[in-house]
Amino acid sequence: MRWYEKIGNQLFEPNRRVTPGELIFFKFFELFILLYTIYYSWSWGLYTKLHNSEVVLSLGLANYFDVSYLFDHNIPLFIAFLTSILGIFGFFRKGPKWLYAVVFFLLHLQYVIRYSQGEIPHSQNMIGLSVFCLAVGSIFFSDKQKMPRFVLGAIIFFVGLGYTSAFFSKLIGTGFNWFDGRHLWLWISEKSVDILSREGSFQLNFLQQLALSSTLLSSMILLFGWLTELIGFTAWWKKLRPYTISLLILMHFGITLSMNIRFDAFVLELILIGFPWYKMIDRSVSSTPAWIQKMV
Amino acid sequence: MDNSFSKKGIKIIGVIFVLYAVLVASHKGEFWPFSIYPMFSQAGNPWTRAMVLDVTDLPDDQIWETHSLYNRFAEPVPLKEHGIDQIDFSNFISKTENWTPERREALRYMFGQNRLGSQRWMASKVRGQLVQEDSVIVEIKPFLLVTADTVRMNPTLDKSEYFNGEE
Repeated sequence: MRWYEKIGNQLFEPNRRVTPGELIFFKFFELFILLYTIYYSWSWGLYTKLHNSEVVLSLGLANYFDVSYLFDHNIPLFIAFLTSILGIFGFFRKGPKWLYAVVFFLLHLQYVIRYSQGEIPHSQNMIGLSVFCLAVGSIFFSDKQKMPRFVLGAIIFFVGLGYTSAFFSKLIGTGFNWFDGRHLWLWISEKSVDILSREGSFQLNFLQQLALSSTLLSSMILLFGWLTELIGFTAWWKKLRPYTISLLILMHFGITLSMNIRFDAFVLELILIGFPWYKMIDRSVSSTPAWIQKMV
Repeated sequence: MDNSFSKKGIKIIGVIFVLYAVLVASHKGEFWPFSIYPMFSQAGNPWTRAMVLDVTDLPDDQIWETHSLYNRFAEPVPLKEHGIDQIDFSNFISKTENWTPERREALRYMFGQNRLGSQRWMASKVRGQLVQEDSVIVEIKPFLLVTADTVRMNPTLDKSEYFNGEE
């Protein structure tokens, strides 16, 4: 067996039986992704309608055509409506198997329209990636046994890859001294300005006060986060996954406390994909309900 | 299920991985939702953000002065209360290289044309940097004065602060 096939076996566990708990959990997970997709699509559409008038930064497909033509005539709201309807049809497995691919395209479009103002947020990436994996899974593995396994395995692969690549971005961008605690001081001051501007007031919390009082402590905080990113790829191994994901969740709480950056969807999705929740469901159900069977 | 499913799955991931790599490599690390997650990759550099100060009641000869965050002469306008995304606003101010009349109008549109009334809002650049190896100083530079019908540039700043020479 080649090395990449071993990774495939860890991600997809082909020799493990599909259980009712797994199918129920997958449908719950898919609902979670669908609800966030609808929420993002509408909130981005409404924001665009109210605030966007010029393209400051072209992201994704916006590099290839002028998205400012899509700011008006309620087009962002139409995209949100279409995304919601097609997403719901995809969720209930009504219609062709490429529906999620269209949903992904529309969500990408909505993102590049909304974030044409200069900001490059990453907190929605995991939801976008999940819709992409649902699209690929429903095209190549429409089988109800295989699709859940592929979708979750693919998401875990790219999540692990993303964290590890973030480690190397920092190593290349700054060098081994990236975790110098004074860098955290700069970021705390930067984020304090963001909060002050957003809320009109700002108070340092306990962790920020501690970090600002000691270079050693702030360096340790950065080093912990950085090394946790490095081991992100170890989530590909099913036995290590809960530990790696737990560390990543802890890291996100650390970022929230030290830099006031929230990753709600990111953390919620990590909680969902990082642990074998299906085992818990299997303890209380013996068969897959018919209505779930129809929708997987 | 058997190993053939796993093989097919990892091959598809391999194809997506190549697509991922090509897209992020050719689009400065970002092609949503694919990313190399470069945020915070360049540590230690000075940063520039933005905030809005309410200068409605201040005299004209005071509002254009650069000053420190801790001795600021006006209170920040809480952007959240006005439905404006702070990060969006901050990037709009710091990443715009040519403040053409259209771009200045776009800023007024972002604030909401009917919201200002008789108020005067100063969109300001805020810059932070490490000094003397052990402290951070934060400086506010008043940049654009936005009223209900005009957007004025800071007369004390050089034109190069507003136009990079390329259109």
